[in-house]
Amino acid sequence: MFKNIYDWLDERLGLNDLYTNLLDRPEPKTTWWNTLGSASMFLFIMQGLTGIFLTVYYTPSPDHAYDSVQYIMEGVAFGWLIRGIHHWGATLMVVLVFVHMLRVFYTASFKFPRELTWLIGIGLFLTTLGMGFTGYLLPWNQKAYWATTVGTQIAGTAPFLGEFILKALRGGPDLSALTLQRFFSAHIWIIPAVLVGLMGIHLYLIIKHGESHFPTKED
Amino acid sequence: MNDETKQKINKRYERELDKGERFWPDTIFKDLITSLAIFLVLILLATFIGIPAEPKADPSDTSYIPRPEWYFLFLFKFLALYGQLPLIGKIEWIATVLIPGIAIGVLTLLPFIEKNPNRYYSKRILPISIMTVMVTGIVLLTLMSEVPTVSEDGSTLLGTLQTTVGIFIPLTAYILFAVFKSNTRLMLWTTSLAAVSMILISGTVLALAPEKKTEETEVATTLVDQIFAGQDLYSVYCTECHGDDGSVAVIQGVEGLEGEEITPINSRDVLYTITDSAMTEVIAYGRPNAGMTPFGKTYGGELTRSEIDYIVVFMRYMWDDRFEVPAEALKPLFPPLAQGEVPSYDVHIQPIVKRYCVSCHRAGKENNNYLMTSYEEILTTGDNVDKNIIAGDEGSYFLQVIQEHAIMNPEAPDEELIGVMPPNRALKSNIVEVFFRWIMSGMPKTAEEAGALSTTPTPTP
Ligand code: HEC
Ligand code: HEC
Ligand code: HEM
Repeated sequence: MFKNIYDWLDERLGLNDLYTNLLDRPEPKTTWWNTLGSASMFLFIMQGLTGIFLTVYYTPSPDHAYDSVQYIMEGVAFGWLIRGIHHWGATLMVVLVFVHMLRVFYTASFKFPRELTWLIGIGLFLTTLGMGFTGYLLPWNQKAYWATTVGTQIAGTAPFLGEFILKALRGGPDLSALTLQRFFSAHIWIIPAVLVGLMGIHLYLIIKHGESHFPTKED
Repeated sequence: MNDETKQKINKRYERELDKGERFWPDTIFKDLITSLAIFLVLILLATFIGIPAEPKADPSDTSYIPRPEWYFLFLFKFLALYGQLPLIGKIEWIATVLIPGIAIGVLTLLPFIEKNPNRYYSKRILPISIMTVMVTGIVLLTLMSEVPTVSEDGSTLLGTLQTTVGIFIPLTAYILFAVFKSNTRLMLWTTSLAAVSMILISGTVLALAPEKKTEETEVATTLVDQIFAGQDLYSVYCTECHGDDGSVAVIQGVEGLEGEEITPINSRDVLYTITDSAMTEVIAYGRPNAGMTPFGKTYGGELTRSEIDYIVVFMRYMWDDRFEVPAEALKPLFPPLAQGEVPSYDVHIQPIVKRYCVSCHRAGKENNNYLMTSYEEILTTGDNVDKNIIAGDEGSYFLQVIQEHAIMNPEAPDEELIGVMPPNRALKSNIVEVFFRWIMSGMPKTAEEAGALSTTPTPTP
């Protein structure tokens, strides 16, 4: 019975092909350091799931953002847990992605034929930081407000373009409702979309080339 | 890279695959374990550390010390240290844009900069050394981000040490790397020495660092906390004009507003017609024409946005009959006195004074220089300090004025020296009783001192 269903699906979806191509692959001996990439991915998925829950109650306006977050913490069942996971997940994700990058650097895994994997990786690193930067403002508390004020100010010190970058980030000369709206949209739509796209290419390349082996004297 | 090398690399990889593992289940299994461990860590962090409460954003509060997200802290520390360098320290964008830009640029183009196919560490010691020193610096600067560069006594020792860790040692190391780059052993020595000395100096800096003042910003998160916070703020800032329960209709005892008729703010007239956001605005902006000064920091007052919000919450739940007060918020101001019990400053007097007197009796108000914000002030300030509070004396001015006996000026008998206190309405008799017993028994500060003075009434047979 199950065999029949499986065969029917396999004929149409090519489950067996998927299995041989994706899962039943040879790999060189891997170490625990090789788990950091998939751990970053796991955290991204967690951030996505908890983030979706948070948007159910969160309101991106200076008048209501703070109170809506307060409500998530106090009024929603397990809201504190969901927000806690999202908060700490963000911190942990930055750490993990950075350490993952370091391990790729130290084992020289970015060399032929994985140069492109590295380039995409840099994109992933920067977008991860972007997620952190935009997400930080959303609770609209003192810490968030002033961190973003100095953060955008730093960007504003760039020669020639500084003024423009500052205004583009803030949506005006000062932090305002527009800034919050902008950061919110970047945080839940724009940057995650880029991140997912890059992650797809990253994974495709890893499957294509296989994971690199741990370098020995021979290499 | 020529085809021959490429083929060699591929061949080599094939050999590793042959003695390797299967992606499913071997590799995946490890991945799942790591992810599971991370999931557990997340749950623990969220449950036991949680997220510290923060007050609401307040653009007008320029006294707030801004700090970026933690993963940018090292960059800020670097900026601060760089800014101390003579000459180039003034060109900000070198540190904010140029150096980080170059770092990211080099990182991005790494595969095209380090083109040789060597992967073993000793064959690429130069990049490894540079990265190690850089990452050590980043981690240490993050750890030291809270330490000031100039100590309170003006010494710049800490700043110099930090600059050594953040700029001088790495710079020296990079220069030495350029010199030693063909000698693996020397490179390893230089890297280790640089890293170890950076760690040791940072350790010293952290040990010498002045203890961090944990500035507890109190954030009321639960409704009851907010009501209490609002009540306290209201008592300090508003009672002088509106009375402790908002019922004042004619202002008394306030310079410049004597006899001013106002709408009691605990009335439906006010509560039903003014919405929360309008109320916040009234408090922040005041009623300058009518005589109510602005309280919001934005307009030069002393209250932050969160604090004003708490006052509004307090007003709603205590006075507005459309809101139901949580029972917990109704606990009495001070525990009622038993017979023969002597009240103490800590338990009884402080909360009463805070609610009924401090709003006028604090710095910057007209009050005969009588401040009441601490135990010492209550006993040692005031124009008539020698007559105000005399232990065991019913004639103390303090006791007279709270019992509605104004003190007349001895030199001009029809002039009031001190009016009745509080000027707008008489205290309830149980509160007068607390003050009375306190002064008659010698003004004990702590509950223990008061306990020692208390007499248990001898049971009458
Ligand atoms: C210096 C005296 C003074 C102080 C202190 C003061 N107020 Fe007022 N307040 C006034 C006066 C005068 C008015 C005008 C009343 C009127 O027009 O009926 C007023 C009006 C108001 C109103 C609006 C009433 C209306 O009908 O528009 C509110 C609400 C209010 N005050 C709340 C507060 C709060 C809350 C505080 C403490 C943060 C406070 N006030 C402190 C003097 C004061
Ligand atoms: C509305 C403002 C206001 C409030 C509230 C208030 N006072 Fe006063 N107090 C004054 C002023 C003004 C004076 C200066 C004398 C005068 O003008 O009557 C004063 C003077 C005094 C003095 C005399 C100080 C001296 O050395 O001359 C005492 C004692 C005193 N107040 C006690 C209290 C106590 C106790 C409370 C709380 C129960 C209280 N006051 C609440 C405004 C106030
Ligand atoms: C959101 C962030 C990222 C995710 C989800 C991710 C995911 C992964 C995964 C699942 C792997 C395979 C397992 C492993 O080797 O750990 C991998 C490998 C790799 N990653 Fe990432 N990565 C991220 C960021 C980065 C960054 C920042 C870089 C470097 C700039 C990078 C470069 C590489 C390279 C070169 C490999 C191949 C390693 C090898 O074959 O040994 N990745 N990544």
